[in-house]
Amino acid sequence: MILSGAASCREPNVRLLVVEDNPELATLLANGLNAAGFQVDSAATADDARSALMTTRYSSIVLDLGLPDADGLSILQEIRGKKDPVPVLILTARSAASDRIKGLRSGADDYLVKPFAFEELVARLEAILRRPSQLVGSSMKLGNLVFDTASRQAFINEEPQYLSSREAAVLELLIRRKGHVVSKRLIEDELFGLFNEIASNAIEVYIHRLRKQLLEHGATVKIHTVRGVGYLLAEV
Amino acid sequence: MEPRSRSTQYAAWGIYLQRFRPSFRFKSIIGRIIFLHVIAVGIICILMPLLLYWLLARETDSLQRVALREHADMLAGNLKQNPKGDWTLDLPQNVKALYSDTYGRYAYAIVDDTGHAVLSSLRDNALIFSPASDQSSASAQQETHGDAVLSGISVSKQIGDKTVSIQVAENLRHRDVIIDDIVANFMQRVGWITLPILMTLLVIDILIFRRVLRPLMRASREARRIGPSRTDVRLPTSGMPSEVLILVQAVNQAFDRLEQGFRAQREFAADAAHELRTPLAILRARVDTSPETSISEAVRKDIERMSRVVNQLLDMAELDTSVMEPCEETDLQSVCADVVEYIAPLALREGKEIALCSCEGPVHVKGNRVMLFRALRNLAENAISHSTEGSTVEIVLEADGTISVLDKGPGIREEDREFIFRRFWRGDRRQFGSVGLGLSIVERIAEAHAGTISVRNRPEGGAHFSLRLSPIRPASAASNLQPYKAQSPQDGQSGYKP
Repeated sequence: MILSGAASCREPNVRLLVVEDNPELATLLANGLNAAGFQVDSAATADDARSALMTTRYSSIVLDLGLPDADGLSILQEIRGKKDPVPVLILTARSAASDRIKGLRSGADDYLVKPFAFEELVARLEAILRRPSQLVGSSMKLGNLVFDTASRQAFINEEPQYLSSREAAVLELLIRRKGHVVSKRLIEDELFGLFNEIASNAIEVYIHRLRKQLLEHGATVKIHTVRGVGYLLAEV
Repeated sequence: MEPRSRSTQYAAWGIYLQRFRPSFRFKSIIGRIIFLHVIAVGIICILMPLLLYWLLARETDSLQRVALREHADMLAGNLKQNPKGDWTLDLPQNVKALYSDTYGRYAYAIVDDTGHAVLSSLRDNALIFSPASDQSSASAQQETHGDAVLSGISVSKQIGDKTVSIQVAENLRHRDVIIDDIVANFMQRVGWITLPILMTLLVIDILIFRRVLRPLMRASREARRIGPSRTDVRLPTSGMPSEVLILVQAVNQAFDRLEQGFRAQREFAADAAHELRTPLAILRARVDTSPETSISEAVRKDIERMSRVVNQLLDMAELDTSVMEPCEETDLQSVCADVVEYIAPLALREGKEIALCSCEGPVHVKGNRVMLFRALRNLAENAISHSTEGSTVEIVLEADGTISVLDKGPGIREEDREFIFRRFWRGDRRQFGSVGLGLSIVERIAEAHAGTISVRNRPEGGAHFSLRLSPIRPASAASNLQPYKAQSPQDGQSGYKP
């Protein structure tokens, strides 16, 4: 994964607070997120986090739950108690179903269990930052494919591609969840919401055309079919 | 040295007792009680009639003595000595008949201080009892006169200035004396009744014992349910006899301590797995944030496998500690889709594919969504890791609540089939990353949902795992029951709802 490549796609003033008590992981997170184009402040304790939150306005918070002086959830509850909508991503070693539910009920925007792929963390941070209140124009990149979400324009090797609006909508869904399965139903719902009507086998047709286009222009990404569920965009 | 020698002494005693223990040994308390009870009944059967006989004899004796004393008093009242020194006894005619020789039931003799009979109902003015035996005033005596057995007393009375001894007796052989017959025939006429009475008592006692032991039976049934997965069960104390209650409470306390031990062990496993997550996260972050090298991808795969082991350990610990009571409704359709979505990237990275072939419409079961997801995820992960590169793992959901996971791997060897759901069992010991917890997690979850998990080999090669759960609403449309048919890869999704 090339993290530096993504830096250009982000506005420079996205400032994150990483609350993590393990110094090694905190350093790695700070360096990695820096490389991915975020400005990062680190806090090792709940107290540090509180004082950081009082002085600085953050775009998002990455929160570890097991802190030495308090439970990370208490910080989250304090933040939400002040009606602060700052997006919070919980990054924890607790994976029990009950913990996950508790975290999301306390007002977390996402929940990621350790160990995690750095790419996944960045993608999820981008996802919570893109929510309406934090909307930032950005483009997404996978292999030699770049998709600009503002103009809905795709590029392969920096060469703009002609795509119909429906094909572009499908590609956007796929690249947003790159490396993950996008269910056929989700694509159908999305297209129906955008265009009001779609033919019964329309999705297959769009996917077929997209595949052809990607292949013809030498893209290093491929749309995989996950039979019975949906599609997945991944690097070849 | 001292305690040890004592313990060996005890051991020696134990052996000694063991050796001399009766050869008949009853396993059940009721057996023992009945055995001892029968012995007790046998002894009582012998002793009780004897005691009753003795009491009866004593009572008849005393009754006879009271009656005879009244006779003596009456005789004394009618006894007179004229001035010449002769004794006369004026008895009413009806009383006189009692003493007559012809009737022969009663007899009297008046004995003066010289020991000679002055008056007697017997022939020849004979004494009833010889003077030698005439000691106390009212002692019972018995003497045989011809064919009559005279049993009676001798009472001293003061008549005027003389002291006489009045002997009164009853002929026990007389046909009107029945009291004696009662005593004599007691054993054979009445005594036998004690045996059936005691036997009835024995039967009643057995019924009572059973009734009393019922709480114990209940406790033992409850105890049978206690196992590593159900350490929260305790023996019931309600209705327990107080003597047994002490034992039951002690056992329950022992269970409390065992549960604590179990919990400590489980928590240790969970804590250990939990603690491994941060170093794994550091390792992963280190690899992800360093420049790509030739080993980066391999290290990532290693970390993923290790994470999977950690996840399985934690899943297992969570399954062990929380009592699952699946009360919510879950749609298997969406669980299957979620699992396929979750597994697909992993499968693609390994050059394999996963596909879902499901029936139309939702399949609702009673169950916990997260747990069912984990069960199916483990089955799918297992199938992916065992299938050959380039092949497709198929997950098939049927309307009857059966989820099949089909792979094209080597299949399950016949001799391994019964072991694969055991903890830490692995078909191939050399394969890194699968600790063999996965399938036992599946079994635990299936069990908690009143479902089953089974495995067989496919005729075309590969394993076929079936997780069977019961849908809440039975499949209504006949079309839902159509069996799944393998599709050619070209026609992709047509016919199946994604």
